[in-house]
Amino acid sequence: MKQAPQPPPLPPHWFQILLSLADRDLHGLGIMNDVLERTGGRMRLWPAMLYRNLRRLVDAQLVTEIDAPRDAEPGGGRPRFYRLTPLGRRACAAEAERLAGFVDVARRKRLIKA
Amino acid sequence: MRGAPLYRLLLRLCHPADVRARDGAELERAFAACVARERARLGRAGYLYAWIRALADLLSAAVLVRVDAQRTRRIAALQQLPTPHGDGLMFTLAQDVRYSLRLMRRSPWSSAIVVLTLALAIGANAAIFGTVDTILLRPLPYHEADRLVLLHEAIGKSGPVGFSAPDYLALTERAAGFESVAAFRNKEFELSGVDLPERVTGAVVSASLFRTLGVSPAIGRDFLTEEDRDRRAVIVLSDSLWRRKFGADPAAIGRTLMLERAPYTIIGVMPRRFTFPNRGPLLNNTPADLYVPIAFAPRERAAFGSMYNNSVVARLAPGITVVQADSDVRSVVSRLVEEIYPSVFRQGGFPLSASATPLREETVGRVRTLLYVILAAGIVVLLIACADIASLMLTHAAGRQREMAVRATLGASRMRLIRQSLVEAGLLTVCGGAIGLAMAQGAISLTVALAPPTIPRLREIAIDWRVVAYTTGASLITALLCGLLPALESSRRDPGDALKEGGRSASSGRRQRRILASLVTAQFALAVILLVAGGLLVRSFARLMTVDPGFRAKQVVTIPTSLPRTAYPAGSDIRSFYARLLERVESLPGVTAVGASTFLPLSVRERRAFTIEVPPAASEELQGTIAHDWVTGRSFEALGIPLRSGRYLSPSDSQSSEPVVVINETMARRFWPGQDPVGQRIAWGGPRDHAAWMRIVGVVGDVKQGPLNTQTEPQSYSPWTQVADGMLAENVIGIFRSLKITVRASHDLTDLATAVRSHIRSLDPSLPLTAVQTLDQIVEESSGPQRFNTMLLGSFASIALFLAALGIGGVLATSVSRRTHEIGIRMALGARRPDVIRMIVTQGMALAGAGLLLGLPASFALTRMMSTLLFEISPRDPITFASVTALLIAVALVACYLPARRATRIDPMVALRYE
Repeated sequence: MKQAPQPPPLPPHWFQILLSLADRDLHGLGIMNDVLERTGGRMRLWPAMLYRNLRRLVDAQLVTEIDAPRDAEPGGGRPRFYRLTPLGRRACAAEAERLAGFVDVARRKRLIKA
Repeated sequence: MRGAPLYRLLLRLCHPADVRARDGAELERAFAACVARERARLGRAGYLYAWIRALADLLSAAVLVRVDAQRTRRIAALQQLPTPHGDGLMFTLAQDVRYSLRLMRRSPWSSAIVVLTLALAIGANAAIFGTVDTILLRPLPYHEADRLVLLHEAIGKSGPVGFSAPDYLALTERAAGFESVAAFRNKEFELSGVDLPERVTGAVVSASLFRTLGVSPAIGRDFLTEEDRDRRAVIVLSDSLWRRKFGADPAAIGRTLMLERAPYTIIGVMPRRFTFPNRGPLLNNTPADLYVPIAFAPRERAAFGSMYNNSVVARLAPGITVVQADSDVRSVVSRLVEEIYPSVFRQGGFPLSASATPLREETVGRVRTLLYVILAAGIVVLLIACADIASLMLTHAAGRQREMAVRATLGASRMRLIRQSLVEAGLLTVCGGAIGLAMAQGAISLTVALAPPTIPRLREIAIDWRVVAYTTGASLITALLCGLLPALESSRRDPGDALKEGGRSASSGRRQRRILASLVTAQFALAVILLVAGGLLVRSFARLMTVDPGFRAKQVVTIPTSLPRTAYPAGSDIRSFYARLLERVESLPGVTAVGASTFLPLSVRERRAFTIEVPPAASEELQGTIAHDWVTGRSFEALGIPLRSGRYLSPSDSQSSEPVVVINETMARRFWPGQDPVGQRIAWGGPRDHAAWMRIVGVVGDVKQGPLNTQTEPQSYSPWTQVADGMLAENVIGIFRSLKITVRASHDLTDLATAVRSHIRSLDPSLPLTAVQTLDQIVEESSGPQRFNTMLLGSFASIALFLAALGIGGVLATSVSRRTHEIGIRMALGARRPDVIRMIVTQGMALAGAGLLLGLPASFALTRMMSTLLFEISPRDPITFASVTALLIAVALVACYLPARRATRIDPMVALRYE
């Protein structure tokens, strides 16, 4: 029986961006800060590359642009917000599963505690 | 956010318009957040870190965004029609960039060094260009500034002087070639009524001045002709004074200020960028903080043949050239003696003439040579840096021959390989240029802070699009210079050879060595030129420092004072104030002598014509002008001016005793050669002026009247106490009511200055506190321009030397590592360490020697252009040339010895096994 094709692994920063958008819509600066916080400062997204990647995520239909919500923080214009598409949610979940698989292996090999 | 405009500019340079339109604002905001974040994390360094990372981010995104777009387009095209074959230029370019970025990441240190070297050189160049561009190339900040000229008068063979009031007034009526004419003069004012009283430099100007310059006040209005004519108390402020005193409040218009304790109404404020007068011209060249009508007094209007102290600026009528204007003003002025001067002048044939020069020439002409020399020095440093980087890339390229060969065999065309190399160089220089531009901002503030105030237009210097364009151009040319040679070189070889040879080259290496050798030679030749130029300035400055100013500057403080006319209307008021002040200061502990004079040494501005009662037959010239100073108290002792014969002036020289005068040695030598002038009599003016005779009672040592590099002029001193009461109070320029107190003390000067100031305040609490300077500071300031030139060119020369040493050291180091095998064999065959060292050092010194041989004659030819910047040093000074040669040889020896020593550490066995 033929297995369903495995989705290709996501680049780490794509994964982190999608992860940030998993539970709420955010604008670029918000994503930047969220990723920084979650990775404990290990992943610093710089503006130009971040926005380039956001555009590629939109092109790949993993993320969609939405208008800023009315209660968006005032001052400094109305930033564009990004929302995870169903496809993006699946891709992010698949990546998480993939990573979790490795964690399982590590656990079985007693590298880390169960 | 300070960097926001620069980031926006970079965005514009790097990103396509559609991306900018969509994300521009958010990118800027995110950038600001990043800078803030990194600052909070790393402090000051975070700012730099954020910039470097953001720059790298921007550049990589710039490339990748285009790659993305290309890819999207290609996919779209593929879906629609059969695609043409081959890669688009942009696509392969993007590939090259990506490849180069990968290479840079692989050797971050050498990339960082290259980028930093370039940033330094390009940054310095941008800063210098900004300065030169502002000062020399851009028109003065007035309307149609090329139609403005400065007019001067001259008497006989005297240098240019200003206009006297009657001559100026006559000129305004008679000169036809001008659209308008205006007079102005610097004047110091006691400013009070807002904040603490202070002394400011202002300008008295004719009502036509701002109209002549074509600049209107930013708020309020210009002077009216009747305000000048009727001597009304109105004032126009400079932007900076308005901000300082009124916090930029527009309601300042109509308010009242006190000048010399008389009320003046503010009628206007000049625009922010307006500076007038400018530094540069010889006369009246201090930028003014405020402007009041010149309102010539009746005595000034009648001052025929004296008080040539007003500067005159004029706007040429349309179609009139400077040459026409010059001959026009010449003919008008030469007729004035006939037409308006009193008859006494006509008998003697008063030789009055005039001239017109472009205002811009007057303003910037004196710094032109200096600035061009500095610009040339900057470009030379950039060239040396280029050579460094080219040789670095060349050696890199040599190491990558195999890779190139593989690419060539796989079908990369020669063009493609050349382009790859150019892109590499381009990327490095673009990074260097961008960082350099940021550094230029700092360099410009540093230049403005360090430059002596005599350099005109400093306030205007800023980074603008012209500087950015220059920097971009310089970076691109640099990229070409650095990249082309390695590009041609690495693409030249037959790929088969490179693959067969196994990386170690024999015959092809010779060619490369030749190229590297010529680069190093060129570097040394350029460094020689800069070092000679720097060395000449250092020698000239050292010579200047040994000049004896004629006084003892140690342990002397000077305090300028000035008594306003309203509070001290009569001569007796002034006399008693200074008498009491000197008496009180004299009684302070530690004070050894106190005096006061109208001028301090190094800035004696008074020049007077005089007549000798019994002219000695042998004197070379009987008439001329001499410098003059009025002194009181024990001024000579306080300044430390030695007595040569006769006596000093004393307090007993009063209005009731015989008028006396003391002269300097130069005057004694020139007018009474071989005789003792003591006892002779002189008088002011010509023989027909019938002024009172003054007896020479003493001869004192020479003191410089101007900066240390000027000639000492004949000078006389007369007692201030003998000036008539009326003169003391009524003198138009007020020189007699503005004395400089000089105090010599045996102990700490700061306490003394405070004590003197408190005595001044106890005598008159509303006198503004003025800057107290030690005589040492004044001496140091007078050599400021030379110090600045020396420092600037000296640092360029040091950078050049360092880069040249780096170049020769680097080339030898590569050569040693490439000859490991050969050296191993030599040592195995019995060569001793000194032999190896000699071999390597000789190789290097041959290059340095060739550089010297080329550089010395070149500097011999070029330094001639610097002769105006030098003081008592010939541009072909043998000592400088010799020491530069010695220095370069020494530095080259060190730079060669280090790699040579490494060569001797080669273990022959290891080297051979290396096979």
